Amino acid sequence: MKCEWVQENILLHVYNELPDDARYELEQHLARCSGCAAELKAARKFHAVLSDLPVEEPTPNLLAASRMRLQEALETTAQNGMWRRLMFDPSAWFQQIRFSPALAAVILVMGFTGGVGVTYKALGGKSPDITALPAGPVAEASIGGIRSITSQPGNQVSIKYDSISTQETHGSLNDQRIQQLLLFAARNNYNSGLRMDSVDLLMQQPNDTHVREALIYALRYDSNPGVRLKALAGLGGYVKDDVRVRDSVLEALMQDSNPGVRIQALHLLDPVRADSSVRVVLQKLAESDQNPYIKSQARLEVAQLPEID
Amino acid sequence: MGHMAGQSLGRIDDSLLVREAQRGNRAAFEELVRHYDQAVLRLAMHLTGSDHEAQDIYQEAFLKAYKSVGNFRFECSFYTWIYRIVTNLCLDHLRKRTVRKEDAPVATDASGESYDLIDRVPDARSGANPERDLMRRELGSRISRALQRLTPRERMVFELKHYHGLKLRTVGEVLNTTEETAKNTLFRATQKLRGALADMR
Repeated sequence: MKCEWVQENILLHVYNELPDDARYELEQHLARCSGCAAELKAARKFHAVLSDLPVEEPTPNLLAASRMRLQEALETTAQNGMWRRLMFDPSAWFQQIRFSPALAAVILVMGFTGGVGVTYKALGGKSPDITALPAGPVAEASIGGIRSITSQPGNQVSIKYDSISTQETHGSLNDQRIQQLLLFAARNNYNSGLRMDSVDLLMQQPNDTHVREALIYALRYDSNPGVRLKALAGLGGYVKDDVRVRDSVLEALMQDSNPGVRIQALHLLDPVRADSSVRVVLQKLAESDQNPYIKSQARLEVAQLPEID
Repeated sequence: MGHMAGQSLGRIDDSLLVREAQRGNRAAFEELVRHYDQAVLRLAMHLTGSDHEAQDIYQEAFLKAYKSVGNFRFECSFYTWIYRIVTNLCLDHLRKRTVRKEDAPVATDASGESYDLIDRVPDARSGANPERDLMRRELGSRISRALQRLTPRERMVFELKHYHGLKLRTVGEVLNTTEETAKNTLFRATQKLRGALADMR
């Protein structure tokens, strides 16, 4: 009886899917029963056979090529239902509004400015009696968005809104707060000069893995080639030690729109040019790259590569 | 290969990226893609045995995800949602294969094994590697043939559990069924495979 149960569950055991108490019981049984122990051995052997068809990791080349192809297609694809996903969700809003005289006096005028903000205007004769409001009207420019509007008993309305305020902070480059803001600036600021400055400052600490990630992000996504070049310069020294860095520089070589960035990437990959994924890319560039300098450089490098054993 | 290209910024919460992507932010979607695309390629590569077919599945899966991310309601994790999309495409692929086999042109190789000629067409697409596909196919051909004896669903359950380590509960979610059903499918698949491989020794 017990053996039957064990045999049914050996498969699950091998896949680590048994709950702890069942696993314990099974292990206890296996220690005493040679028949079931043999069955376990057979199950494990079967598993080993299956690894004749191993799962392979996609090469950086394949991955980058797939991403590029996807990116091109995304540029011409529209999303469905996009209007529903602007910052303000009308259906959720309607659910929260309860009809009451106080609310009837409040009319919201919303400007759909692509999610930048929601403007709030109160119209109508009587304005609702709202308690706990700071004296005077709320400055429209400081409203970040309206979160919720709910009616309260006694013809009251309760509105939650976000407000924006500008703050300033000082500190050294080692301050965690400064680091955090620099990372944010490198990725989010509209002003490319500011992004460049923050990448510049971050470059002084490329040992931090967050910083490296931000540099990789800048290299991949920043629209300004100057910023990308700076990020490359910061990452260059880590091409040998960090596979992620190497692969992102490789990607820049393959697909950056700016030839200067590509050339710099090519030079930075010199210490790892014998790596198989780099080698594959170099060979491809040597064959068919449009840029004559890159093509001839790649040819030179390929010629100097040691033979594959 | 260990770490792969672009596995950066995994710290950013998926749900944040999803919401951004739902607002039409393409960069956020692309970042989301990067969190999952190696796993997707790995699955498609192993299942189809071909780089170029894997790329096709990759493309279709992420385009589908992009077009319908607006309909994602967080009722499951994004991980499960993406796997579901890819799995359905893989199932389509498996079903097409069984149909095609009937009239596909077939040849025999040096060891007397027959193979589909279509599988040997070289692909000039960047990143696809026909020599590697060939090598892969020859080494694992015994296993491949055994796997082909499974029904598409059996194959899928086995693939996800054995080769990609998904928990049976997740396998169930991905295939829109229960963990119990996934478990039974796994048993059936394993029995069939053991039978098939015992024959072939």
